[in-house]
Amino acid sequence: MSLYQHTLRELRQMLVDREISSVELTEDVLRHIDAVGEQTNAYLLVTRDLALRQAAAADGRLRAGDARPLTGIPIALKDVLCVKGVAATAGSKILRAFVPPYDATVVERLAGEGAVFLGKTNCDEFAMGSSNENSGYRPVHNPFGLDRVPGGSSGGSAAAVAAGEAIAAVGSDTGGSVRQPAALTGIVGMKPTYGRVSRYGLIAFASSLDQIGPMSKDVADCAVLLQAIAGHDPRDSTSSAQPVPDYLEHLADGVQGLRLGVPREYFVEGMEPKVEAAVRAAIDLYRQQGAEIVDVSLPNSEYALAAYYIIAPAEASSNLARYDGTRYGLQVGSGRTLIEEYQATRAAGFGPEVRRRIMLGTYALSSGYYDAYYLQAQKVRTLIIEDFARAFQQVDALISATSPTVAFPLGAKTQDPVAMYLNDILTLPANLGNVCGISVPCGLADNLPVGLQVIAPGFREDLALRVAYAFETAAGFSRLRSPLMEAAA
Amino acid sequence: MPESHDTLSTETVAHVARLARLGLQPEEVTRLRDELRHILAAIDALKQADTSRVPATAHPLEERNVMREDRRAPCLPAEEALRNAPTRENGYFKVKAIQE
Repeated sequence: MSLYQHTLRELRQMLVDREISSVELTEDVLRHIDAVGEQTNAYLLVTRDLALRQAAAADGRLRAGDARPLTGIPIALKDVLCVKGVAATAGSKILRAFVPPYDATVVERLAGEGAVFLGKTNCDEFAMGSSNENSGYRPVHNPFGLDRVPGGSSGGSAAAVAAGEAIAAVGSDTGGSVRQPAALTGIVGMKPTYGRVSRYGLIAFASSLDQIGPMSKDVADCAVLLQAIAGHDPRDSTSSAQPVPDYLEHLADGVQGLRLGVPREYFVEGMEPKVEAAVRAAIDLYRQQGAEIVDVSLPNSEYALAAYYIIAPAEASSNLARYDGTRYGLQVGSGRTLIEEYQATRAAGFGPEVRRRIMLGTYALSSGYYDAYYLQAQKVRTLIIEDFARAFQQVDALISATSPTVAFPLGAKTQDPVAMYLNDILTLPANLGNVCGISVPCGLADNLPVGLQVIAPGFREDLALRVAYAFETAAGFSRLRSPLMEAAA
Repeated sequence: MPESHDTLSTETVAHVARLARLGLQPEEVTRLRDELRHILAAIDALKQADTSRVPATAHPLEERNVMREDRRAPCLPAEEALRNAPTRENGYFKVKAIQE
């Protein structure tokens, strides 16, 4: 078995026992990236020299007995996170030449832990998309079927973990961008509660919805990664001061006696029968494990997609106003005046989906349309929050499919933005409702992964992890491996 | 009254593009008009939701007015802050004329 095939926690033990060094491990993963990287396009930039320097430093810490849980572990970072001195593009041509002058807080924490940074992963431009086909550079291919999308927007991070091109990764989730690609590539991905993880140094998409989250081979690895990045940050006033619990402590407590809700609205029209069958089988397994299964209703779910596609583009249109060719990024200096230069720069730098969302958001915020769209969407957001609050009076956690479909072929939905938006229908309510959610593999349908979503109340990541872990342990899907993960290094 | 999604006009789309500082070609204005009509039709369900009794949620957090101590701390040196600027001069960002 090659080193890149192991979980984070297995490798951690091997590093501590001095069976392997971080340099050996890092070289093994880099070799595998060389072998399969062109098939997945998971990375936009491989930071080989940085990784080997960090690995050598990690080996020093391991020798000195100063190791933390992530010391010496090679991980991938979605290219929306700033690493000082390393190019960051957010998947956009408008940021082609941008080199951040500072580290994101998450990056600083991971570096402090002694993690090894393999590189920056491909993503939909400014994290807007559900297939990674909106990358301004190249599409990512799913390691379970190279003609299939990996999901998005954290599709590069998901493909990297699924193909063995990283031991774990970090993504960002605004409407499902960690959970949906995790589901489509057979890995674990979590969207923590808004405020659980600092957004300082995250290139913003929709600031009231964005949250950075871990992506990993199994649930325990996810808990370890969350532990490293969670917690208050004085540089992000929206990060929460709530204490961070030990996410491993109750991980294996099981679901005996827990009440798990199945939202009836989440078996949506258009859900593939094989996905529904896998989720129904998961529900049965939870029942066998001693959980009480409760039918619940989230009655305003039917409005969530519409509210999201007003609120997220509105916030994006405001956030992306900063890309004007003045302080960083692309500048097209053909205009005579500053405004003409702005217009030329933004027309040249933004791709089709980003333009659509800027237009949609600007429209929804503009005079005459604000009340009908933006204000109404914010009120619907209140209804979604109330739906979750009512459900969590009845049950401990909710379970559903993560995505209504398995990975679809590249190009299948690029001509219809609405068909693409529907991929997030089961994940985006958790962002609007500010609860936490995790996707865990729940089997294969026609050799493509299906994801099970567990949603828990705000700041109950411990509970979401515990419920997901109980399923993973009972179902035995924790070592679901893609053909690229199996490929010899 | 705001125009409905199926009457969203080319003029409105061109106006919104100007507000967003997106320099669009005429054929792209037409294409975006059609795409926005399609998207707005799909999210028209929003209007069916009964929101008469609820306030708007602008932000998910209950915490408000987070304050920190007013203490001096190092900030980014000017040279580093300017390093990514496409055009700069004498320690400033350089821009085109803002008026004719």
